[in-house]
Amino acid sequence: MSTTAALGGAEPRDVESRDVSVTVFADRNAAYYGSVFERLQKGELPFWHMNLAGLLIPWVWSAWRGVWLMFWVSLALDMVGLVCLMQNFKYGPLLADAHLDPSANAILIERYTRWLGVYNNVGVATLILGRLLIGLQANRWYFRQYSKWRIDGHTAHGVMARRVAIAVLILVLVAPITLYRATQQRIDERACFNQVRAIDGTQRLLSRYGVTEVSDLTSAMNDQRDRLVTEKATLEASASLTDDQKGRLSEIRREVRQLRRENDAVEDFKAVSAKDRFDCLFIDDFPTLARIDPPEDVTYRRVPDEDAIAQGRSGATKVIRQVKDPVEGRTVNIFTYTAESIDIGINFLRAQYAGIFDALTNVLRQSLIRVEVAFMLTPWPVLVGLAMILAWAYCGTGTVVFVGSSLTFLAVFELWQIAMQTMALVVVATAICIFVGLPVGIWMAKNRIANWVTEPILDVMQTIPSLSYLVPAVAFFGISQPPAVLATVVFAIPPMVKLTALGIRQVPQSTKEAALAFGASERQLLTKVELPMAVPSIMAGLNQTIMLALSMATISAFIGAEGLGAIVTAALGDAQAGKGLLAGIAIALVAMVIDRILKGIRSSLSRI
Amino acid sequence: MSVVEVDGVWKIFGDKADEAIAAVRNEGLGKPEVLDRFGAIIGVKDASFTVEEGEIFCLMGLSGSGKSTLVRHINRLIEPTTGTIRILGEDIGAMTPEVLRALRAEKIGMVFQNMALLPHRSVRDNIGFALELRGKDAYHRAQLADHALETVSLHGYGDRLPSELSGGMQQRVGLARALAADPEILLMDEPFSALDPLIRRNLQDEFLGLSQNLRKTTIFITHDLDEAIRMGDRIGIMNDGEIVQIGTAEDIVTAPADDYVADFVAGISRLKLVSASKIMVAVENHVARHGPIDDAHDYPTARPEDDLDTLVELSTGTELPVLIRHDGNTVGIVTKDTLLHGLQGTESQ
Repeated sequence: MSTTAALGGAEPRDVESRDVSVTVFADRNAAYYGSVFERLQKGELPFWHMNLAGLLIPWVWSAWRGVWLMFWVSLALDMVGLVCLMQNFKYGPLLADAHLDPSANAILIERYTRWLGVYNNVGVATLILGRLLIGLQANRWYFRQYSKWRIDGHTAHGVMARRVAIAVLILVLVAPITLYRATQQRIDERACFNQVRAIDGTQRLLSRYGVTEVSDLTSAMNDQRDRLVTEKATLEASASLTDDQKGRLSEIRREVRQLRRENDAVEDFKAVSAKDRFDCLFIDDFPTLARIDPPEDVTYRRVPDEDAIAQGRSGATKVIRQVKDPVEGRTVNIFTYTAESIDIGINFLRAQYAGIFDALTNVLRQSLIRVEVAFMLTPWPVLVGLAMILAWAYCGTGTVVFVGSSLTFLAVFELWQIAMQTMALVVVATAICIFVGLPVGIWMAKNRIANWVTEPILDVMQTIPSLSYLVPAVAFFGISQPPAVLATVVFAIPPMVKLTALGIRQVPQSTKEAALAFGASERQLLTKVELPMAVPSIMAGLNQTIMLALSMATISAFIGAEGLGAIVTAALGDAQAGKGLLAGIAIALVAMVIDRILKGIRSSLSRI
Repeated sequence: MSVVEVDGVWKIFGDKADEAIAAVRNEGLGKPEVLDRFGAIIGVKDASFTVEEGEIFCLMGLSGSGKSTLVRHINRLIEPTTGTIRILGEDIGAMTPEVLRALRAEKIGMVFQNMALLPHRSVRDNIGFALELRGKDAYHRAQLADHALETVSLHGYGDRLPSELSGGMQQRVGLARALAADPEILLMDEPFSALDPLIRRNLQDEFLGLSQNLRKTTIFITHDLDEAIRMGDRIGIMNDGEIVQIGTAEDIVTAPADDYVADFVAGISRLKLVSASKIMVAVENHVARHGPIDDAHDYPTARPEDDLDTLVELSTGTELPVLIRHDGNTVGIVTKDTLLHGLQGTESQ
């Protein structure tokens, strides 16, 4: 092959003249592609120009020439067409069944006939139009690849049988199973589970009866049943029974019932065909049908410690561990197993470190109460006046009007006090976000490992649905405001951290170098150069944090936090659209007032 | 004692720096081989020079020749791989961080190509930055800063923000910041490269004037040979991390050390650089070729240190050669031929 000339990175390649390069690139049939490319460049190629190989054997052609995009597109188009046609095998038998009794199944017949008509039309159209598209585009895509190859010599070029082999492998892996799936009805959700149970049960029976063949097992079970039936008949035949005999009789009845169930399982097992197993393992859900014993059902409780109290330490407590008996024969999947283990872990932590959690809850509650009191006891004219003065000092007249009318809205609709509860929650949560987020952000900007660890955690915090961590928050901190504050912090802190880190990282290397050249220490560099220059970014983070905290108000109402969110949640429960909308608008207005004022302050800061 | 002594400094970036140095020393590897074998990049290769008090020493080279890297060794913004640097006789490699910071703040001022002013501080606070880092109070800071502003003729701009000033003014602020703490040494890293030619020329002149008054020991980096010749008492030319020649502008123009330097100086006007002594022909040789000097004519005369510009001036309007006289003796003769060859930089026959 003459492709060697094209290898070797940025080395000048001996392909400067077009004739040479097309020969190297196309390898086979270079004359044809040379003329096609030339006409394409001149704009002389008619739109109906078609590559016959692209039309007839697109998979082979594109793989052979390494035009992988075309390979995938043509494969996808052909598969879509064929899958549509395969519906004949899926609904055909159903239609035939329905035709057995046309009068009763008129609706079904009409429905299946319509579906099959649509599927067949779409399938045929996709196949034909798809092939036409590929045929028309083949040479144009090939030319694009050629242009790319001229820039980057590693681009696929030439012809290669190995690529065809790879394509065949892909086809073998993809096509049969996809087409087969298209011919099958959706599997009943329980079917696969029952299958596994039948198989497991039969395995257990096999080992219990000490046989290896299922036919042996059936006869062994039949023998057993016969014995029990005989014994039962004997007992029932006698006129009077002792208590022992009565007990034996009910035991036999139970055993017979058990035997019948087991027999059913074996019958089920026999009914499981290889096709059923295949369907369950390959075309339904991912085959995680593993069943394991559930974790030990443990609960941890904190109770008064009698021994310690007897020794004079009043109020002493200890954690006790209670284990419940496992439910007979209960097996769970991995998801349930892990979820239950987490529950137990949370339960343990809550009991073991009750003091810490209670103290934390208390601190949060106390600070919330203080802030809430500050907001609610300050007369509303004072707060409205303050907000309007801030708006006037940092923003324009428009903002003053907006702030004034928004706050009037709260006052007129008697939402003021409730809005102040929300504000208190937001203020406390934001304060925590600043005190935690700022140092973490600085650390993240300065330390590569910290960045590597923190980044994914922040991403999870931002994307995990807040309802899913409200439950553990309640477990640890009870209901009402304190867990709401923490949940809000989790939701609202990422922008604070990220934008602090971004702001510090954005300080130009040259500026930092200059500061060092004039004798700054690391600390001075941070306080006198990096942090001041990061202020606009940090303020943007603060703004976003506050907005997110406000939007959490509704969610945290689910765990009993008071404020505007509680009205929304209540309205949701009672289907009162008007109430919910008004409270929602109030939240939005509070958010916008804070946002506008902060933006004004920010722009006055970043006028540097 | 020299103010700045740089002795055998190597800087190699990469993990296997020591091995790379040994290989370069013993086997004479070039840049690409070192990169290939050790994954290391040669920043500075065995640089040694000294700068005397009050001298302006220019480091000249193309981008990537290692001049900025080298100058950052002088205040230890970059640690050398091997080699020593002494400032006022003290080895800065042995300094503790605290002493080093004091040195940077008090003894060395630095000016950067991209100014690197702090955008959130006023001009005055920018200039007082080094003083502030040393704990000087605000009052004295402002006094010194205003004084420095006057030095760079920016009186009255102290309360502006850097973004309100033009590029040239910003660089003056950069210079004022470097001068504010009255350091012994100025490091100037391509200070005027980012400015347009007219302002550049202005600032060059102004800096030369300033320099004559203040007599600061200066290391001046540039990629422009014209600038190096204008500014530098001596010039060091760098290529691929190595100082290939150190000398006065005239030395470098008349006797380039290698082809690289020769290429550089090829396009330089020699009028103001080359002196009569470099091109003149000894009297005997002249007499041997053209016959004796006729005392009856009124020959134009010049001194050996006069530049070619003066000689051109003297030669116009007369057919006679110029006599070069020193202490009342004629030490050489410059004919028109000699002069033209001298201007061209070629040897006369």
